[in-house]
Amino acid sequence: MILETAERLRAAGETPAAAGRDPVNLPMIRNWLEAMGDANPVYERTGTAPPAMIQVWTMRGLTPPTSTDPLQVMSNLCDEEGFVAVVATDSSQTYHRHLRVGEEITVRSRLESVIGPKRTSLGEGWFITTVTTWHVGDEKVAEMTFRILRYRPAAGSPPPTAEPFEPVITADNAFFWEGVAAGELRLQRCGECGVLRHPPGPACPACGSFKQEHAIAAGTGTVHSYVVHHHPPVPGRRAPFTVALVDLPEGVRMVAEHRGPRPEIGDPVRVDLDGDLPIWRPDVPALEPWTLDVTPTLIVSTALATRDFQNVHHDRDSAVRLGGKDIFLNILTTTGLVQRFVTDRLGFSRKIKSIRIRLGTPCHAYDTLVFTGQVFGDRVDVIGRTANGVHVTGSVVVAS
Amino acid sequence: MTAAIAGIGATEFSKDSGRSELRLAVEAIRAALDDAGLRPADVSGLCTFTMDNNSEIAVARELGIGELTFLTRIGYGGGAACAVVQQAVLAVDAGIADVVVCYRALNERSGRRFGQAYVSPDPDSGWHVPMGLATPAAQVAMVARRYMHEHGATGDDFGRVSVAMRRHAATNPHAWFHGRPITLDDHRASRWIAEPLRLLDCCQESDGAVAVVVTSLERARDLACPPAVIAAAAQGSGPGQFVMTSYYRSSTATLPEIGVVARQLWQRSGFRPADVRTAILYDHFTPYVLMQLEELGFCGPGEARHLIAGGGIEIDGRLPVNPHGGQLGEAYIHGMNGIAEAVRQVRGTAVNQVPGDGPVLVTAGTGVPTSGLVLTPNL
Repeated sequence: MILETAERLRAAGETPAAAGRDPVNLPMIRNWLEAMGDANPVYERTGTAPPAMIQVWTMRGLTPPTSTDPLQVMSNLCDEEGFVAVVATDSSQTYHRHLRVGEEITVRSRLESVIGPKRTSLGEGWFITTVTTWHVGDEKVAEMTFRILRYRPAAGSPPPTAEPFEPVITADNAFFWEGVAAGELRLQRCGECGVLRHPPGPACPACGSFKQEHAIAAGTGTVHSYVVHHHPPVPGRRAPFTVALVDLPEGVRMVAEHRGPRPEIGDPVRVDLDGDLPIWRPDVPALEPWTLDVTPTLIVSTALATRDFQNVHHDRDSAVRLGGKDIFLNILTTTGLVQRFVTDRLGFSRKIKSIRIRLGTPCHAYDTLVFTGQVFGDRVDVIGRTANGVHVTGSVVVAS
Repeated sequence: MTAAIAGIGATEFSKDSGRSELRLAVEAIRAALDDAGLRPADVSGLCTFTMDNNSEIAVARELGIGELTFLTRIGYGGGAACAVVQQAVLAVDAGIADVVVCYRALNERSGRRFGQAYVSPDPDSGWHVPMGLATPAAQVAMVARRYMHEHGATGDDFGRVSVAMRRHAATNPHAWFHGRPITLDDHRASRWIAEPLRLLDCCQESDGAVAVVVTSLERARDLACPPAVIAAAAQGSGPGQFVMTSYYRSSTATLPEIGVVARQLWQRSGFRPADVRTAILYDHFTPYVLMQLEELGFCGPGEARHLIAGGGIEIDGRLPVNPHGGQLGEAYIHGMNGIAEAVRQVRGTAVNQVPGDGPVLVTAGTGVPTSGLVLTPNL
C-alpha cells in the first residue's frame, strides 16, 4: 500500500503552487531570531529573512487543511500503517537569494523516493524523500531536498547497535591509549637511544633497550595513503568512511579514521583526540566552538517559532510515548542553529548560500550541544555533538 | 632439492559445500593419495596452515593413517601455501618422514567469511582494525592507493588482472566462474569495496579443499604420476613486517617479503624470471599481482602495468599467469589450488596448458610473511 501510493505520487510529479500563510514579515523573523538566540542585526537592518527560515514560511500550522502535499500524504498513510513516529534525517537547502519583508512566497513539492521498510536503530520504518521549491512570482528563490524517517517505535529498549572494535591494550602500548584519553598523541621514544617508534613495542629495534618512554607528537601530519571503505559493514561505523595512513613530522606513520572531505595524498591533517580513538581531520582553519545548553524552553520556543507543532517538540509525555527520552530539537531549528553558528563566527554580514545537514542522534532537552566547524574556502563543515553522539553534521556554503 | 610432488587432490569448489571441513580435508587427501598411487598407511607426515580448523590427528584418524612422525603448521594465512610444501621437503630431505601430505580445507564462504570485518586479539591488529581498517580488502587498498600514486597505475590496470583471470577460469570446468568471462567495462562497473578496490578486484570466498603429496624424487619416480620436481622452495618475511598492514617501513608501495622469497628461489633453482613458462601468482587482490611481478623480477618497479597491458599475462601472452583462473576465477583455497595447478602444468595435464617444459613458479599469500616454489618436470 505504501509503495503503491508512493509510486502514484511520484508519477504525479510536482504539486500545484501553494501559498504561504503569511507574507515574509518582521514579527515572525524577530520571533525566530529571539528563539534561536541569534543576535545578527543584519536581517532587521536590511529587511531580509534569515535564509534558514525558508521552510518556516510555508509550514502548514497546527491544524492544517487537507493537502495533496506528498510528504503529508505519505506521512498520513504511514501513520495508518502503524509507522507513527517521525524524525527528519536530512535537509539540503539552497538559497538563490534572500527573501525580503513583504514578499509572498509559494511552495511546490514532489516525492522523490520512498524506501523501506528498513530496520533502523529506532525501529522499522520508511525513508521518505521530497524535493521542494519556493517561488516569489515566477522566480525560484530556494529549493530543498528533505528526508524523514517514519518508523514504528521498537518495543522496549531499542536493539543494541553494534559496538565498534576496541583497541588491543597491552603493557607495551597502554601509554598510547592513556595519552588518547588525556588528549595527547604519544609516540614511543627509546629511553636509551631516543629513537621514536610507532606502533610501539617492548624493545627498541635500534639499540635493544627495554627502557621505553614517550614523546608527545605535534599532532600534525600529511596523508601518505588512504582508503574509502564501502563494504562490508564495519561495526559502529556508517559507510562510506575514510581511513588514512599519515606521515607524522616526527618520522613515524599512524593509521586512523579520516573525517572531513575526501583527502588526497599529501594533504595536511591534524589529530582530533576528543573521542576514544584518534581521528585525522583536515588541518584547516577551525571555528571557535560554540556550547549551547538545550533547555526545554529552547526546544519549545524554537519549534513554535519555526511553526512546527509536532508534539515531540513540545509535549514530553508524547515524546516519551513515541520512544524518546524527552522532547527534542526539530530539524528546522537545527538548521537555524547551524546558520547562527556560522554567521556568529564568520561575521553577521556573510551571506549564506546553502545549508546541507544530516541528523544523527536526537538532541533532547537538557543535552549540551557543542558545535565545531572547519573552513574550506567558501564552505564551512559543521558538527554538532551531544554527550550521546553526533547530533548533526552539516555543510554551509557562504558567499565569497 | 631431492623432493617432488607426487600427487594432487581436491574437492569441488563451491559456495556451500554442505559438508564439514574435516570431511573436505579427508576427501582431498584421499584424492591426492589415489593420484599418487599411495595408501593412507604410506603417509608419515601431515602439514597444514595454522588457520586450518582440522587437526592433523583428526585427519589421520579419519584416513586410517596410523602412526605419524611429522606434524607441523605454518602461520600467516595464505602466506603458508608454499611454505607447507617447503616443510614437507625439509622433513623428507632430513629423513624424518617419507611421505608428507600438505592440506588445506575450509568452508570459507558458508562458514566464517574472511572478507568480513574481523578483529583478532593480536596487538598488531589493534592499530588498524579499531580505526576502521577492518577487512583484508581495506588493508590492501591502503597499499594499492600508494602504489597508484607512486607509479601511475590506474583502476583499469587492476581490472586487466581480473579480466585475465576470468578469461582463464571461463575455460576451466573446475572453476567457480567457468563459462563467465568479464570485460574491463564489467570491472569498471563493479561496486566499490574499499576504494581504490572494486568488487572485481577481490578474490572469491570459497568452500573446498586441496591436498598435495610430497615424497622423495626417487620414490616419486616409481609412483602413478610423473613427479613435479621441487626445484626450489622458500619462505620470506620482510623488514618491519606486519600481517596485511606493513605500513611502517620506508616504502609502502612494495612487497619486500616476496623479494626475499624470489631471491632464494632464483638462487636455489638456478633459473631466472625469463625462464619461467607460467607463473601461479597469489591473486587475492589484483594490485598485488602487479607488485609481485615487480618483486619477482619479471619487470622493474612500477612497470607491471606495461607487462599486463595487451593481454601480457593471459594464456597466449608474454607470461601466462594463473592459467586455471586463480583465486579470482577458480576458487580461494588459500593458494593451495594454485600449487595443484602448477603440478598439472608440469605434468602437461592442465585444461589451459601452457606448452613447453620450462619451470613453473608459484607464490603464496602476499602482504604477509609468504613463500614460493619452483616446480619442473623430471627430465
